[in-house]
Amino acid sequence: MTEQTITLANRDGATYRVDRRKPLLDSLRDQGVDLPFGCKYGGCITCAAKLVEGEVDQRAQVALNNRQLGNGYVILCVARPVTDCTFEIGVESHDKLYRNPFTDRLEPHELKADIATPLASTPPSRSEAVGENRGKDAS
Amino acid sequence: MSLDCCGPGYASPAEAMQAPREKLLYTIALYVGTGIQKPDYLATIDADPDSPTYSQVIHRCEMPGIGDELHHMGWNACSSCHGDAGMSRDYLIVPGVRSSNLHIVDVATDPRAPRIHKVIEGKEIKAKTNLSAPHTVHCLGSEIIISMLGDAQGNAPGGYLHLDKDFNILGRWENSMGDIPFGYDFWYQPRHNVMVSSEWAAPNTFMPGFDLEEVGHLKYGRRLHLWDFEKKEPMQTMYLGEDGLIPLEVRFHHDPASTHGFCGAALSANIIHWWKDDAGEWQWEKVVDVENEPHPEWPIPIPGVISVILLSMDDRFLYLCNWLHGDIRQYNIEDPHNPVLTGQVWMGGLLNRAPEVNGMRITGGPQMIQMSLDGKRLYVTTSLFSTWDNQFYPDIRTNGGVMLMVNCDTENGGMEIDPDFGVNFGNEPNGPSRCHETRYPGGDCTSDIWL
Repeated sequence: MTEQTITLANRDGATYRVDRRKPLLDSLRDQGVDLPFGCKYGGCITCAAKLVEGEVDQRAQVALNNRQLGNGYVILCVARPVTDCTFEIGVESHDKLYRNPFTDRLEPHELKADIATPLASTPPSRSEAVGENRGKDAS
Repeated sequence: MSLDCCGPGYASPAEAMQAPREKLLYTIALYVGTGIQKPDYLATIDADPDSPTYSQVIHRCEMPGIGDELHHMGWNACSSCHGDAGMSRDYLIVPGVRSSNLHIVDVATDPRAPRIHKVIEGKEIKAKTNLSAPHTVHCLGSEIIISMLGDAQGNAPGGYLHLDKDFNILGRWENSMGDIPFGYDFWYQPRHNVMVSSEWAAPNTFMPGFDLEEVGHLKYGRRLHLWDFEKKEPMQTMYLGEDGLIPLEVRFHHDPASTHGFCGAALSANIIHWWKDDAGEWQWEKVVDVENEPHPEWPIPIPGVISVILLSMDDRFLYLCNWLHGDIRQYNIEDPHNPVLTGQVWMGGLLNRAPEVNGMRITGGPQMIQMSLDGKRLYVTTSLFSTWDNQFYPDIRTNGGVMLMVNCDTENGGMEIDPDFGVNFGNEPNGPSRCHETRYPGGDCTSDIWL
């Protein structure tokens, strides 16, 4: 299957069939949906939309921190749909995208992926590390 | 004005100060980030007090597409080619930070109604130079260099884009970035063969908005860099540390013989002064420290966030804006080691000192400033950067930005907001927009450099 159905919850539930290999921004704009955008490489957040239901592949985005990801934000210029999806689009969907960075601090696990501290349920196990060394020794 | 035999600009800063009063202003206006699906534009504002349309937007030059985030801009030529009769100040280079498009705007054919002359597409710049996110534009004799804050993927440090006088891409200007981690603003002082550059962050860091924690993770700058201008490579780094968190605008004295210059460190809310000492060594010191201010709803005192500084053409006064506090300050810098606070006005800001000015609600704080060549009028706008506006002043999306004029006493020092001038970008025909940098047709205090 090469197409998915995209529903825009805050556009009267309008639906669009899109190519799952193409970025959602391009697919939707090609079909006449008026969407904000900026950098077109996943770095600037202008095109962010909120995923209400479904799954996307947005591994190419570098703009969102983990809190924004947790709140469902998707960078449409690089995201591709993995399943049928429902979105809220435009700045009306940005209620949780922007926060005052002084009054509402991020926890270490809420930072961007490259600097976030994982919410480790258990600290890295010593025996595993030893096991790795053993493996190297054995080879 | 310049003699017929000469090129653009003025023979000296002193001559520039004698130029006729500015009658038109060109100001960036944004729709990116507002939800209004219209292009950003260059607004022409009538600044002639004798005109019936004084203090109004009289023309809007729209960019070809949406999403640019126009920000800073610069001239194709300034006083640095005053001696070249073949050059003239006819074009503004107006970059889009997000799109990386460069808009070349013709302001000479009809100064009241600038028009797009040429667009250099961001994708062409990325393909030819692996650069993105254009910021500061300076002409360089007859050529142009632009600080580009990222590579084509938005990673730091980026570099410098070099254009010829006909706006063709020549490639990268610099021979080396050395170990510079970030770019932002730059200014050069050719008699001393020196350029200075400052540090914001990678586009992928600052474009989505400001996460304070990223400062601690060294994602934001804290250094100034001195360059060998002829060799086009960095020669010395000044590590400012906690005194210089997020050093933004850099300004050398306009006097081409001087080695003194200043930088506003936004997050530390300090003014950094640098100069070359008698032994020929470059030195720096902190000369202004804006105290953080308590706020009932904030867990920590609010930093001023010095978003811009400017030097008057005679180098006697330094102006700065505390975008979060809401004040503009005037310092006498005749002794550059010991600035003296001589004036202060309030507009907007988070401290709620002046929520309304001249009958207009001010959303945002004083941000970009531009000064008349004679040093008597300071034009100020309120928007910083769309995503950062949305974090600190979310109501700006529906209220728009404003421009005010501040009258400056150049004899004794002192400032007053002019009661008769105010442009409310909340009333724009396509809906509320946000205003940013300003330039004048005849040159201004943040563009002209003398050889």
